Amino acid sequence: MSAAREARATLTGLAWCAPWLIGAALFLFLPMGLSVYYSFTDYPLLEPPVWAGATNYARLWDDPTFWRVVRNTAWFVALSVPAGLIVGVVLAALLGGRVRLARLWQACVFIPTLVPVIAGAMVWMWLFNGELGLVNRVLGLVGVRGPAWLVDETWVLPSMVIMSLWGVGQSVVIFIAAMQDVPAYLYEAGRLDGMNPARQFWHVTVPMISPQILFSAIVSTINAVQVFAVPYVLFRKPDGQNPAGHYYSMYLYESAFVYGQMGYACAMAWLQMLVIIALTGLMFWASRRLVHYRGGGAGA
Amino acid sequence: MSVGTRAGTMTRRAALGAMAAGGLGFALLGPRGGGAAERQAAASGRIVLDYWEKWTRHEGDAMRRVVDAFNQSQGRIFVRYVVTADIGQKSMVAIAGGAPPDLIGLYAFNVPGYAESGALMPLDDLAPRFGVTLGMYAEGVRGVMTHRAPGRSDGPRWWACVNTAGSVALYYSRAAFREVGLDPDRGPRTIAELDEAHRRLVKRRAGSEGRGALERVGFFHPEPGWWSWIWAYHFAGGGPGAGTPGIYDAAADRATVDAPANIEAMRWMQGYSRDLGQREARAFKETFGNYFTPENPFLTGKVGMIVQGPWVANLIGAFRPDFDYGVCAFPTLDGQGPPVGHIDTDVIVIPRGARHPEASMEFIAWTQRQDMTELLATAHCKPSPLAVASESFLANHPNRGVRVHYDLFRSPRAFHAPRTRVWQQIKDEFDTQVQRVWRDEAPAEEIMRALQPRAQAILDRAAEQRRRRGGRVGA
Repeated sequence: MSAAREARATLTGLAWCAPWLIGAALFLFLPMGLSVYYSFTDYPLLEPPVWAGATNYARLWDDPTFWRVVRNTAWFVALSVPAGLIVGVVLAALLGGRVRLARLWQACVFIPTLVPVIAGAMVWMWLFNGELGLVNRVLGLVGVRGPAWLVDETWVLPSMVIMSLWGVGQSVVIFIAAMQDVPAYLYEAGRLDGMNPARQFWHVTVPMISPQILFSAIVSTINAVQVFAVPYVLFRKPDGQNPAGHYYSMYLYESAFVYGQMGYACAMAWLQMLVIIALTGLMFWASRRLVHYRGGGAGA
Repeated sequence: MSVGTRAGTMTRRAALGAMAAGGLGFALLGPRGGGAAERQAAASGRIVLDYWEKWTRHEGDAMRRVVDAFNQSQGRIFVRYVVTADIGQKSMVAIAGGAPPDLIGLYAFNVPGYAESGALMPLDDLAPRFGVTLGMYAEGVRGVMTHRAPGRSDGPRWWACVNTAGSVALYYSRAAFREVGLDPDRGPRTIAELDEAHRRLVKRRAGSEGRGALERVGFFHPEPGWWSWIWAYHFAGGGPGAGTPGIYDAAADRATVDAPANIEAMRWMQGYSRDLGQREARAFKETFGNYFTPENPFLTGKVGMIVQGPWVANLIGAFRPDFDYGVCAFPTLDGQGPPVGHIDTDVIVIPRGARHPEASMEFIAWTQRQDMTELLATAHCKPSPLAVASESFLANHPNRGVRVHYDLFRSPRAFHAPRTRVWQQIKDEFDTQVQRVWRDEAPAEEIMRALQPRAQAILDRAAEQRRRRGGRVGA
C-alpha cells in the first residue's frame, strides 16, 4: 500500500472513530481530569471551586462516617465476591451437566439478572421483612425464628450477600460455556489416572475455566466496591440511614449531591478508583500462578 | 469498500446516507417537549416560564390548577409546570450548570444553603413591586423566608416566598382514647399525660412469648420518624423565639445536641424503647405500611398517637374517611403557655440565572393571593401561610384540626428546622445517632455527648468554607 493510500486509510479510520473519540474526550477524559482538580478544591457545587490543597484527602482520615462506609464496603466485597464465584461455579457444574430440563434451570438462574435492580430490591425488601417476609415464614416452618434481616445491624451484611447472589446468573452462563469447551480427553485421562468426579472437577474443570473465573472475579469486585442502588433503596429511610447498610458509593453520592461537597466527593471517587485499580492489579498478579490459559501457559 | 456481509452488502455511501436520513427524520419528526398549549404560547410571543415543583398526586393537581388559572388570567406569560423528583439536588445541578428553571419549589431547609451560595435572587426589592410583603404572612412562617449567614452583621435578606406551610402537631385516635377510658375531646398537654396515655394504649398479644408481641402502642417515636430532632424543643419549651436554642444556637453558630433539654428528651425516648422491649418494638415496626397507604399504622390502629402535619388529613380522607381523630399541639413538660411545635414549609424561589425574574415574580405574586393560597392549602389540607385567612376557608377546611395548626403559626414558641446550610448533613448524623438511642446501644447522654463534636465539626467546616471565600456569600 502506498504512503498516500495508507494515510488516507488512517484518516478514514479516524473519521469513523471520531464520534467515539470526541465523546470520550468530552464526556470521559475531561470530566476525569476536572474531577482530579476538584478533589483538591473546596467546591460546594453552587459556588466556584476554591483551591484547598490536600484538605479533602486529609479530612477522609478524620471522618468517622467515611471509615464506617469503608468498613461496610470492604466486608461486602470480601464476602460477596467469593460467595458469588463459588455459587456460580457450583451452579454451572450442576446445570451444565446431564440434568433433566437443563435449559429451563439455566433460564431460571439467568432471568433474575434481567430484573431491574430497584424492582429486585423491592422484592427482597418484602422477602426479608422480619415479621411478614417469606424468608422468615419458611424458617418458621422448621422451627427457626428468623432475624430482622434489614433492620438488625448484625444481619444487614448477610442479607446483602444473599441478595448479591440473586445476580449470579451471568457468571453461571459464562462458566457453563467455558465448561462445555473443556476437551473431553482431559477427563478421560483423569479417569484413567483414577480420579473420581470431585477430583476431576477440582483438577481439570476449575483450572480449565480459571480465565473465566478471573474475569468474573474482576467484574464482581468492581461492582461490589461500587454497590449503590440496592442498599440505597433498602437502608436509607425517612427516619434515618441504617449505619450497617451505609456503603461507600452512597456516601460519595450524598457528599456530592445532598450535602453539596463536590470536592470531597471527588476525593472519595479517586480513592475508590485507586482501590479498584489496586485490587484488579492484585488479582492479575495472583492469576500468574493460579490461572491456566490454554495454549499459552500460565499467566500468558 | 462495503459494509456488512455479502448477503446483506451495503455500500459505505448507503450506510452514511441511511444514518443521515435517520438523524434528520428524528430531528424533524421526533418527540417534542411540552404540549400543544406551550407551543402555542411560545409561538404567540408569550414568555414561557419553567416552574420545577416537587408535588405529585393531589398536591400537584392543586398547584396545576393555580398555574392554569394564572395562564388563563393574562396573555403575556405562560408557566410550564414540571414535576421534579429530588428537587433540591436537581436544582443544585441545574443552577451550577447555568441552566436553571425560572421558578423552583424547594423545601424551607434548602433556603440557607442556596442563599449563602448566592444561588437565589433576593426578593427585598422585587417582591414589594408586585404587592408582596413579609407582613402578609403569618408570623411563624416569616422566619423561613429570610436568611442571614452566620457572621454577617447586616440584616437578613428575603429569599423565598411560602406557597404552603404546615405545623407539626399530635394526632390521636379518638376511638382508641375512648376504648381505654381517656377523654377523646382532650389530647395530652404535658409529657407526663402523653406517657400515661401511651401506657394505657399499649396492647400486647395474649399468650405470645417474652414480654408479648405488640398489637398497639400509644406513642412510637420512630413513626413516622421524619423529625427525630424536635423533642428537645418540647422539653425546653420552644425554640429560639422562646429563648432556647434547641439543638442549634444560630447566634453562635454552635451545635447544642448535648444541651440538657435534648439529653433529657433522648432519655425519655429511650425509656419508651426499653419499656416496649427492643425485640418487640423492632418486630412491631416491621409490620407498618408506608405513609401514604391504607397500611399506615395510624390508620390501622397500631399507633394511637402520632406526630404529624396537617396533610395527614388527606391520608385519612383517601383511605379511611370514617377515622375519628383528634388534634392538639404536641405536649411540653409543663403544658403551660402558648403551644410549641415545628413549622415546616414549602417555598417558591427564583434561582440565580433565571431568564425572566420580573415575570417569575409576577407568577409568585399570583400564587400568594389569598384565594390561591387558600385553594392550594385546602387541597394540601394545610393552613394558609398568610396572616389572614377567610372564615369560609377555616369553616370548610378538610382538616378538623386546622385551628390547632394556625395557633402554632402565631405562637412565639413555634420553631423551624435549624437555619444552617449544613442542616441536612447534621440531620443525617443526628438521625443515625437517634436510632442508636432507640436501639438502646448506649445511654442517651453518652450518644449525644459523642455526637456534639461531630455536629460542631460539620458547622466548623462550613465556617471554614465561608472564610476561604473571604466572607463573600450571598446571604
